[in-house]
Parts: sequence; structure tokens; C-alpha cells
Amino acid sequence: MRFFLWLAAATLPLAGQHTLYTCTAMTREYVVGAKLLPSGIFSHVETGKWKHEGYNHPFVFGLDYDPKDPSTIYIAAGNGLIRASEHGQHWKILTGSDVTELRDVALDPNAPGAIYFAHCAGIRYSPDSGATWREIGGSLHRKFTEAIRVDRRRAGVLLAGNEEGIFRTEDGGAHWKLAGASGFQIMHMEQSPHDPCHWLAVTEQGGVFASRDCGVSFESSGGAIGVGHNLYDIAFDPSKTGRIAVAGWGIGVAVSSDGGKSWQLRNVGLPRPDAWSVAFDPDHPGRLYASIQEEALYISDDAGANWKIAGLAGSQIPRMKFIPAAKPK
Amino acid sequence: MKRLTALLLLSLPLAAAEPPPFKDRARAIIDTYAHPKTGDSGYATIASRLWLREDSAWCSRRLEELLAAPSGDMFWMFPMTAVMYLDRGQLSDSARLKLRQAWKTYMPYRGDTENHWLLYYTSLYLAAQMWPDRGGDEWYTGKSSEENLEEARQWIESWVRLTTTRGQGEYDSPHYMGVYLIPMSYLAAWAKDPAMKKRATMMLDYLIADYAPENLDGIFVGAQSRVYDKQLLEKWANVATDFGWLWFGIGRPNTPFNSYPLYYALASAYEPPEILRRIATDRSQPYTHYERKRTRNRWRFNDERNGPVYKTTYVRREYAVSSDQGGVLQPIQQHSWDVTWSVPDARGVQNILFALNPHSSVRELQTYFVFGPDAAVEGVVRSKKMYDSPDKFSGGSPYEKIVQDRDTLIALYDVEKGARFPHINAFFSKDLNEVREDASGWIFARGGEALIAFRPLQPYVWKPIEGGGRRLFSPYRKNGVVMQVAATSEFADLDAFRRAILALPLKVSLEPKPTVRFQSLRGSLIEFTYGETPKVGGIAIDYANWPLFGGPFLEAAVDSEQLLIKHGIMRRKLDFRNLTVKDATSN
Repeated sequence: MRFFLWLAAATLPLAGQHTLYTCTAMTREYVVGAKLLPSGIFSHVETGKWKHEGYNHPFVFGLDYDPKDPSTIYIAAGNGLIRASEHGQHWKILTGSDVTELRDVALDPNAPGAIYFAHCAGIRYSPDSGATWREIGGSLHRKFTEAIRVDRRRAGVLLAGNEEGIFRTEDGGAHWKLAGASGFQIMHMEQSPHDPCHWLAVTEQGGVFASRDCGVSFESSGGAIGVGHNLYDIAFDPSKTGRIAVAGWGIGVAVSSDGGKSWQLRNVGLPRPDAWSVAFDPDHPGRLYASIQEEALYISDDAGANWKIAGLAGSQIPRMKFIPAAKPK
Repeated sequence: MKRLTALLLLSLPLAAAEPPPFKDRARAIIDTYAHPKTGDSGYATIASRLWLREDSAWCSRRLEELLAAPSGDMFWMFPMTAVMYLDRGQLSDSARLKLRQAWKTYMPYRGDTENHWLLYYTSLYLAAQMWPDRGGDEWYTGKSSEENLEEARQWIESWVRLTTTRGQGEYDSPHYMGVYLIPMSYLAAWAKDPAMKKRATMMLDYLIADYAPENLDGIFVGAQSRVYDKQLLEKWANVATDFGWLWFGIGRPNTPFNSYPLYYALASAYEPPEILRRIATDRSQPYTHYERKRTRNRWRFNDERNGPVYKTTYVRREYAVSSDQGGVLQPIQQHSWDVTWSVPDARGVQNILFALNPHSSVRELQTYFVFGPDAAVEGVVRSKKMYDSPDKFSGGSPYEKIVQDRDTLIALYDVEKGARFPHINAFFSKDLNEVREDASGWIFARGGEALIAFRPLQPYVWKPIEGGGRRLFSPYRKNGVVMQVAATSEFADLDAFRRAILALPLKVSLEPKPTVRFQSLRGSLIEFTYGETPKVGGIAIDYANWPLFGGPFLEAAVDSEQLLIKHGIMRRKLDFRNLTVKDATSN
């Protein structure tokens, strides 16, 4: 499978460094029936250069990596949950015809082999790296689930964001409790890298919701930011406590330096205020990436004060993630 | 010689009394694609020439060119599959190797609709069958041949079960019907498993039976899940017309033929049984035909993923009136009701009249698709250009409720404040004759041999339509239409029809909800208030017991997995639980 070999070992990031992976759809000027443009997973090789990894797939919405082996990533895709292992040498669709159009994926760092994904009709769990699956969203009233996150403190503690709010389980999905943002479609959630009991969630129309009690309850946070708009992504800066970014439509990029209490729009230099996703670079303090609707991926080295193009022109990037280098085996 | 025959067939006036035999019709379609006069010679040409066993060197060369950079999804998979199975030793080793490699190196998207999945899994099933015993590293799925075959088999069988118990989700589409027929034709021809082969052949009967009672001279009439803007108004131009001609020799096919009948003909080229031909062509007596279908998958905002669709279609030689119950049952391309009249030559004719509330909303799109809210409408409009237009003629509306009794139809509208398009559009074709706006409020017209009485419940103005015809525009949120149709043979002239209509008791109120009480031309008292169960003859319509199929020609109960096809003394019973087909004659 040399066809799918990712970067040669010489170009792999050093241990401790991270590579940015993007879930990318090249949609500008695309219409149904036209030749498909390169879409799917892209990795950032160096400034301005990107590598299209593996197969073309126009519908990838989330990714995560195996914490024990970051050379294996899991992709929430239209065709199912895809595992790309051994630096992309082997791809396998781990699911069948019973799920479609996956929205998000998360691995449990405290339970090896445990994978969770959100899909348009619920939440699935595999205890064995994708060999078997079972539905764990059955007790939720509405099934469309956009976001799934695992609490890194303890195995089996999950937060799910669906069209009716944020739900939390402490027993791997056997029982769910409403944790907040009732009535709002949740778009994404993140756990702070600095304080595992600090969670943030972004919504359609409802703005930002925050939890300071380990995800047990969420309350509206950050004033009016995003209220009446749709926020698609949220990112904590792993190199600076309290710095957070959100991406949204009509909002563009907004950054908070006080843990989400107040926000400043950071759109100077961006072509339009419609952003899909944001990510802070863990290896370069203050470096922030933002996907701008069908324009490009943008990069800022000063947390959004100034922007320049980082590549992937014409794209939508619903999610991106920095993945640490795999340890040599 | 055969090619010459086919060309001669095509050059004959297609209105000739006796159509060519089925095999010659199928052959004419294949010949058209084997030797295209203009345009790209793609997979369709390769497949057609392989079928004809012509020019295998060219087929191999062209196939390798196309496979240098595969693009597409399940609409790429199914032509590929036809080429694979029509190869029969004709392709070069190099071309065959490229075909095999494509299934390893290219990952087609599975799609997000029922037809996408049926094409995808049928193609994967047949590919896995062709190359058994291959490991996961030989397939884009990463799964072995056996795993791919099993996954595909399970889904295909689940689709058959769902269709024969709850109806199709993309029901009665005069365009997309083709991409249900193609997979079944493929499996009927090429599946090695006898059960799969038989199931597919039975499904061909089932799908053709679904069309047969709802066609007028080949034109697929009625409420439909998905139809394109041009073909909605000019119904003849649909894929369905070509299938009607291929199966039964009725109507006039498109020029050139659509490619969906081609792939059908390249595989099983299944000729429907005589009983279906009779149903498709017998319009000697008026009849009412009932169907229950289901909505597409509703991912959000609903507790039930697939809601019911209740269809009524009244058919007679001169016209058909058809409807669903209203509401958003499908995204974007739904067509809920109309009268379609028969014409001797429907090419270029807009033989249809209907109204709708043009509805466009992010909520509609998010119900059926997984789109985020902001780019949804823009994304749809790129390919469905009229979706967000106030002038449009297609699409369901949450503010439309419909009742039909034979050729009487009432549509009521109660459009929410703040709705994007709070008005009613009605399509008045360039091909209507004798259109008269009566002082009574009724509009009378004649379409072919159909006399139409159309009563808007609110004032309106006329707006021109590019390409001909007029749009009745009524800018009132509480609104409605009463329509009564009759045949010209029933009345001396339009005046006599007018007098009969004006004599019918009609009571209308618009507050608090639009309400109509109408004694129809056929003697039924229809009482209908928006949002309430309508009554006919004082009895509430029994939606709970609506059959999967009901009427003189088809019978099927919900959840039965059976279909009884009837005509005269002829019977055919399809039983999908036991995979049996029983033919009988009875008095």
C-alpha cells in the first residue's frame, strides 16, 4: 500500500511535536455531478504545504487519534467510521450499513480500545477498537448528535451534544442526564487542557455554554458572543491558560483571554466573517488557525490579531486537530 | 443488420399504431448509446459496445483513459459494474486490471439517499461477487470480499423488506425511479445467489407495478417525491416516459433516450408480464388508486424517522388527479398534487395544473440533511436553482394540507407569520385552452379532454412565466384551492360544465382556520378544515388503515411483504417472505 504511505519517517515530526490534520471538503464552485475535488484528510507538511492523505472523501467531519498509538487516527466520515493506521498505510471502514454521516469521534484515554462516535441517529460505542459496536444513545429523546467528548479524568464519562442540549453519562451511555443548554443544538464541546473540570460548548443560536463542575452542569457564558448566530467550533489554547477561540458564522473568529468571560472579534485580515473551525498550535504559542468558508485556511501567529493564508484554498474545514508524533516502535 | 434495424426503428414515427417489440425497443436504446452522434463517449458507450460485442479494443483503451482519474460516487459505481459484467472476455488484461484496481484505490462516497445506497450496495455486492476471496487490502473499504458481500446483501434485503412493508422513501419519482430499477435489473441478471436473483426479479415486478396504474400514455402522473423543475411542468420529458415506452411501447421516448433505461436494458432487460402491460394501458374505466409511502429519513425535529405518506390517484383515460396529504414529506423536490391531462403527443406540452405554497427553509433542509444551518440553502441552490425562489413550483410546504375524493381536490394553506414566502403560486400552462375567469370566483379551463374548475379562495394576480404560461399569485397566508375536474365527454361544452360547477354547494371560511365545505360533482360532501382530519360523506378519512397499495389493480397491506396484482381475471401474487410468485386466473 505504498500508494497510501504518508510522509516518510524522515519528514515525520519529532516526538513531542504535533501535526495539524484537517477534515476538508473543497466545495468552492463545486456542484452536484461535477468532478470531485480533492477532499478528505489533509496534513500540514510545512508552512503553506499540505498533503492529501489516503482516499478522496467529500464528507469527513471529525477525527481523533489513538492515545496509545497516534499513528492511528479515526475519522468520522459519510461512509462510516474509518481507521487509518500505521501512518495511513491501512484504511478500513469499521462500521457497516447501520450508520451513516458521522459527526464526531472521540477515544477514551482511560479505556484502551474504547471508541465513541456521534452520528445522525445516535451515539455508538466500541469497546474493542471498532471490532464490535453498540448504540448507546437509545435513551435520548432526540438522536441527531453533533458532538461527543470523553472526560479524560475517568473512563466512561461522556458528554454528548444533540439537538436538545448537552447530556452527560457516567456509565458509558447506560444513563444520560441533561447537563445544560436545553433546547439548543450543540455544535461542539471541548474540555480545557488546563482544568479538566472546565468545559465549553458552542451552539446554534444560543452562544457559548460553560461548565466549571466537570461537565455536570452548563450555563450560558461569555455574554452575547454567538447568540443569534451559529458557532461551529471552540478551541482552548494549550499553551496559555484562559485563552480560547470560537469560530462561527457572522462571528468569524472570536478570542477570549479570560477563560471565556469576555470575547474580542479577531477578523481583521480575514476575507469574510464566516468561520468553520479554529485550532491553537500546541508547539507554537499564540499560533491560531481558522477555516474561512470556501476561502482558505488562515493562520495567525498572534492569536488572531493578524492573519495570512495557510493554504487549502476553496475549502470548508469543519474540524481540525493537532496530533502528536507517534513514538518509534 | 441489427444495427440498421434499430436505426430504422428510431426513424419511424413513434406514434405509429404498433410499437416495435420489446426486444427491439431495448436494442434501440443500446444502439443509441453504442454509437453516440455527439458528446462524450463514456462508460455508457463502453458498456453498450461490450453488450453488442463491438470494438473491444476501443472499449479497453477508453476505459483505461477514464479510470486514470476516477471521479464520482455511486453514480460512478453502477456504470463500472455494468462494464465489469459485460466484459465477458472482451477487455484487455490491462483494462481489466485497472477496473480491479479502481475498487482498491478509489473510495466512492456512499451518499445520503435511498437510491444512493441501493446503487452503492448493489455495485459493491456485484463487485465482491466478481472478485471473491480477496483480503481487505484489495478493497477501498478495507474489508474482505466476503465482508463486503455480506454487508451489501444485508442492506439490499433490508431495503426490499422496508419497501414492501412501509413503501419507498423516494417514492414515485419520475426521474429517480431509474436508479431503483437499475440495481434490481443488475441483480436479476448477474447475482449468483438464486434467492437474490429472484428477489430482484420480483422487485422489478413490484417497481413496475408501482408505476403502471399511475401513468397516462407513459407519463408518470401524481404526487411524487422528487421531480426536477422542467420535468415537473413538461412531464413527458421525464425518465419515466422512456421506461413506459421500453416496457409497454406507450408514449414517446426522449431524444436521445435517458441513460437509466440503457443500464436497465444492458442487464436483465426484464420485460414486464402481460398483467402489468394491461394495467399500464387499460384506461377503459375510471379508478382510484391508493398508495402508502414514507418520508425520507428525518434526522432532526421529529420523533419518528420515516413518517407516512398517503397518496390518492384518480385516473381515467382523459386525465389523472393525484395528491398526498400535504406537508414537507421530502426535501426540495416534492410535488404534492395536480391534474395531468392526456394529450395525443405530449412532447413539449405542459399538461399539468396545480398550486403550492413555495416553501424554503433551513429547518426543512436540516430535517432531512445533516447540513449546518448557514451554508445549507446556498449549497442546495447551487444544484437546485429554484429552491429558494418565491416563484418556484416544486417543493412541499408545512403550511399545505390536502384532501382528494376522486377528481375533486381541496388544498388549504395557513402560512405562518414570518414565513419566507407567504403566498400561493398556481401553474397555468400555456397548453390550457378556454381559460375563463368567472365572476363567481371560479376559473374554468380545458386541458385536452379534461374540463377543469379551479377556485382560489383569495384574490390573486397573474404573473408571466418565462417559457410560456402564467403564474397565479395570491399573497394571502390563509388561503386555498378547490378543484373539480371532469371529462369533456360528460358535458356538452365548457359552459355546461360551468353551470354544473356553479350549482354545487360551496361554503368557504378563512378564519380562524381555512375551511371548505363542498359538494363535489360526483356527489360527495367534502368537509375540510386546515389541520383537522377531512371528512368525505360525513366520515373522517381513515389514515390509520391506509393500504400500502389499494385499488382495482394492486392490493397490499402495510407490513405484509406481499403484493397482489390484478387485472380482469388475471392475478399475480408476489410474496417476499417466501420469495414466491403465483400466477392465476379467476373469475
